[in-house]
Amino acid sequence: MDATTAMYVSQGMHGVAYGMVLFLLASGLTLILGMMGVFNLAHTCFFMLSAYFGYQTIHWTGSYWLALLVAPILTALFGILMERFLLKKVHAYGPIAELILTLGVSMIILDGVKVVWGTQSLPLSPPQSMQGLVDIMGLQYPVYRLFLIVLSLFLLLVMSIILYKTRLGMVVRAAVSDAEMVNALGINVPLVFMTVFGIGTWMAGVAGVAIAPILTVSPGLSHQMGMDAFIVVIVGGFGSLGGAFLVSLICGLLSSYGIQFFPQYAAILIFVFMAVVLTIKPEGLFGEKES
Amino acid sequence: MNKTKLVFFMFIILCCFGALFLPQAMAVDAKYDLSTLPDMSEFDPDNPVNPEGDKIKIALVAAFSGPGAASGHVFYLYTSWAAYDINKRGGILVDGKRKKIQIIKADNQSRPDITKKVTERMILKEKVDILWGSQMSHLTRIVAQLAKRYKKIHINATSLSDSLMEGKNFSKYSFMTSYSTQQIGRAAAYYYGQIRKKEKKFYIICQDYVFGRSMAKAFKEGLKEYYPEAELVGEDYHRIFLTDFAPYLTKVKASGAEVIFTGDWMPDSINLLKQSRQMGIMLPFANVFINDPISLKEIGIENGKGLVIISPAGTGNPIFKNEEFIKYHKSWNDLWKNKWKEPYNTTRFKHILGNPAMYGYSIYWAMSVIERAGTLEPDKIIKTWEGDSYQMPNGKIVSMRSCDHKTIADLHAYEYVAPKDQKQCYNIPPYYFFDGTVGAGPVSEIPAEKILPKADPKLCK
Amino acid sequence: MKKSTRLTVWAIGLIVFALFPKFFGIYYSNIIVTFAVWALFAVSLNMMLGFTGLLSFGHAMYFGTGAYGTALALTHMDGLPLIPAVLSGGVASMVLAICIAPLVVRVSGTAFAMLHLAFAQFMFVLALKLRDITGGEDGLGGFDIPPLQIKGLFSVDMADPLCFFYFAIAVIVIALCCLWFVTKTPFGQIMVGTRDNAKRIDYLGFRVSHTKAIVYIISAAAAGVAGSVSVLHQNLVSANDAYGMMISVFPIMMAMVGGARSFFGPIYGAAFFAMLEEFTTRYTDHFELILGVVLVVFIMYWPLGFAGMIMKLKYKWLTWKQSRKSQGSAS
Repeated sequence: MDATTAMYVSQGMHGVAYGMVLFLLASGLTLILGMMGVFNLAHTCFFMLSAYFGYQTIHWTGSYWLALLVAPILTALFGILMERFLLKKVHAYGPIAELILTLGVSMIILDGVKVVWGTQSLPLSPPQSMQGLVDIMGLQYPVYRLFLIVLSLFLLLVMSIILYKTRLGMVVRAAVSDAEMVNALGINVPLVFMTVFGIGTWMAGVAGVAIAPILTVSPGLSHQMGMDAFIVVIVGGFGSLGGAFLVSLICGLLSSYGIQFFPQYAAILIFVFMAVVLTIKPEGLFGEKES
Repeated sequence: MNKTKLVFFMFIILCCFGALFLPQAMAVDAKYDLSTLPDMSEFDPDNPVNPEGDKIKIALVAAFSGPGAASGHVFYLYTSWAAYDINKRGGILVDGKRKKIQIIKADNQSRPDITKKVTERMILKEKVDILWGSQMSHLTRIVAQLAKRYKKIHINATSLSDSLMEGKNFSKYSFMTSYSTQQIGRAAAYYYGQIRKKEKKFYIICQDYVFGRSMAKAFKEGLKEYYPEAELVGEDYHRIFLTDFAPYLTKVKASGAEVIFTGDWMPDSINLLKQSRQMGIMLPFANVFINDPISLKEIGIENGKGLVIISPAGTGNPIFKNEEFIKYHKSWNDLWKNKWKEPYNTTRFKHILGNPAMYGYSIYWAMSVIERAGTLEPDKIIKTWEGDSYQMPNGKIVSMRSCDHKTIADLHAYEYVAPKDQKQCYNIPPYYFFDGTVGAGPVSEIPAEKILPKADPKLCK
Repeated sequence: MKKSTRLTVWAIGLIVFALFPKFFGIYYSNIIVTFAVWALFAVSLNMMLGFTGLLSFGHAMYFGTGAYGTALALTHMDGLPLIPAVLSGGVASMVLAICIAPLVVRVSGTAFAMLHLAFAQFMFVLALKLRDITGGEDGLGGFDIPPLQIKGLFSVDMADPLCFFYFAIAVIVIALCCLWFVTKTPFGQIMVGTRDNAKRIDYLGFRVSHTKAIVYIISAAAAGVAGSVSVLHQNLVSANDAYGMMISVFPIMMAMVGGARSFFGPIYGAAFFAMLEEFTTRYTDHFELILGVVLVVFIMYWPLGFAGMIMKLKYKWLTWKQSRKSQGSAS
């Protein structure tokens, strides 16, 4: 590969890598949204919280892999607690109340991590085995970013299998379209909701620990990717996993090729994309029209 | 006239002559007195002792919460150290009374409207005498405007934008004790063009806002002036708090650049360095803010090599030129090691050196000016401060340009090297700054007159 | 309420307001102006949230546009009088709302909220990017504030904080009265109708999307006026101040805590937050944490906010009085 081709190809790969992490974050959000009708504004704060948990685990044990295992689970526990004791109570007051509740929770988490870990940003490295570069047909590419792509694709695969091939997935899909009916069939819908909420925050948690070695862990982490994730969910269509996947990829590629070709307007491109899609289809690419 | 009196007068006159022939470097209007350093062992930033009786109140307008809260704590620690020091010496003599200094936190949450409100509260309710801050140029401008309206002296030690002291923004009540973007950018260019003379291809990566843009502009102007044969192979401006630098770094890689110049601050600066090393880009970085020891330790010694930092606090090697400064530094270091609690006991606060130290030194300078003015009346303070020169505890000499209140000083370019090579700079045990972290080594001085801060032609004729 | 008592209440309010700066000084007067700006902004948001059931997570879009509208008008037009300067902010927001309304009235609920979040963010990025016009991060500031004058008749200097205090409060009270008036018209009834049962309003022959659009535009204009007064007060507008995420979030919190179902609820909310901020920021660095807890507690236990509490108390008092009366007549 000559240098110019290598540059374009690696720009594409960077776009895919970023898009994949974005998808990890956005998929949980859109899953919860599609299932329970709750736009969880605290989602990106869970993402940040998980990065902090990951940092703490590595600080204590020195193992990144343990952190990748433990931190998302801890985060998911927090998510479940929030669903059980807060969200469920305000469900009766309607979606706006739920939205504002998640806003309150996000503020608490955002300031809470400052109380516990301070305001300075905390550094984190990729695990020893994931450092360095790998040679792909003459293209030097960081191993860790490759790992991010593989991890996200793997999780996407697992999720699709669960959602479309298992009984749980069937129940979930049924509950999305008609929760009352599913409840009437004798299935414990609140439990299903809780599980989905847990899985959703777990995905955010995985994204948090996965992205931490590329960035530093700081309270700003939730804003850094938060807005992109919200846009992915809005443009992809509420509750659509496929839409989230596609739009995440587009976002990543737009960002990297945008920086390559129109560095001045790279930050705006994604918004222009959003505006175009929403003008044509306000419910998002794969969203269903509200009745 | 009796004989003793005559001898005394003769002696005084001789002294005056002597002062005239002293070497240039000693010709400062005032200096920090290291020899009378008081016992600082009781200093505790968590439990500040508010002085009794007459006092000079200084409002520290900075972020203590919200985004950017990290900076407020740094400012607070170093300025309150300086205040404690002065108070221990009995305060300063103003209007015939000895007054002590009180530092009051004014949390602006990094928000413009809050900055205005809290600064007004400081002026109208707390009745502070001096405003200090703030951490970003647009916030500093608000403080400066209020200082002008209410006629309070304003010290800006932290916002580096030249434009703050130009045109409509200039106010005679504001004094910029920090270096400015123009000085930094041109100093970097001077270093590469006139001192180092090796690398020729530069790539600029800065944050996409006023500060980042003016840093880049200053560097480009500096290259034109001091390094015409240099080539700018690319420039990019990214949004603040960017997640993924890879697309920019891919461009850098393809451009064949030899040095990356960046004005980014934390956490962008460290993310940029980290991601570039992860991508196998080992280029040197000419920068200002990649100096956080905890992040540098994580990045490792090999990856940290090749950083060049333009420092406002440099004095040339070695840092510790006399026993007294070692004592000064040690009294800080001992407290850091034994006494302070979170967050002040983290590695970042180990030394009273570098950028943060300058925040505290700005208090020394201002207080020295006020003591010499003998009053808290702003007009007299302004008159004394304009054209004043002062020697900081570390021996650095700074002077205040009269026409636009910008500080003129030599800057220093430090190459970051492995701990074993830091002895030339950090010349007391353990002979390195931080364990297992790259740090300042070889130094090059960039003379003040080569990199004067930008002067507004309307103000400075 | 009887007409005479209502008049006395108004008169007392007027006297308190007139004497306020005299007793409390400029600092607290400035806080009152800030509070009034937030109150108007929150009420404008609540025109949609409380009356039409539309929550916008990007109302800062209109606040900011109003602020930039006034700031740009004052920077570029020499000799622009004060009242047109304020109106230019309102009109700027209104124009933006007219452009966006056809797009957003088609959606509701969460989609409406998040769409606005994205649009406000778009405006934020735009304000940062078009730095030649907006001044980017540093913003626009330092423009001269025109005096309030009628040529040859009188002229009041608005750079004086005291005069500005009276002017700002007057503008905001007038704007609030206009909004209140809107809710009392038959159109106001249709608004509430669209919130409670949109289908029924549709069957009655009113067009739901048109109603929504009109409320939307009125709300945007009011937010624009709030932004405009704010920029005159601060003499500065920057991207963060105008389109920042928190600028959108605060009025929502005020409306929720104050009580979204009532017209005056957001005003109570604004007062509550003004006081909370004034007291807590002096003692703690963790204002955000406190805000979050307050918000969660209110949503969980008093979803109708202060206004709801007041209504409840009033209701209790009335029934208590009623029961005493009936007891009295019985015995």
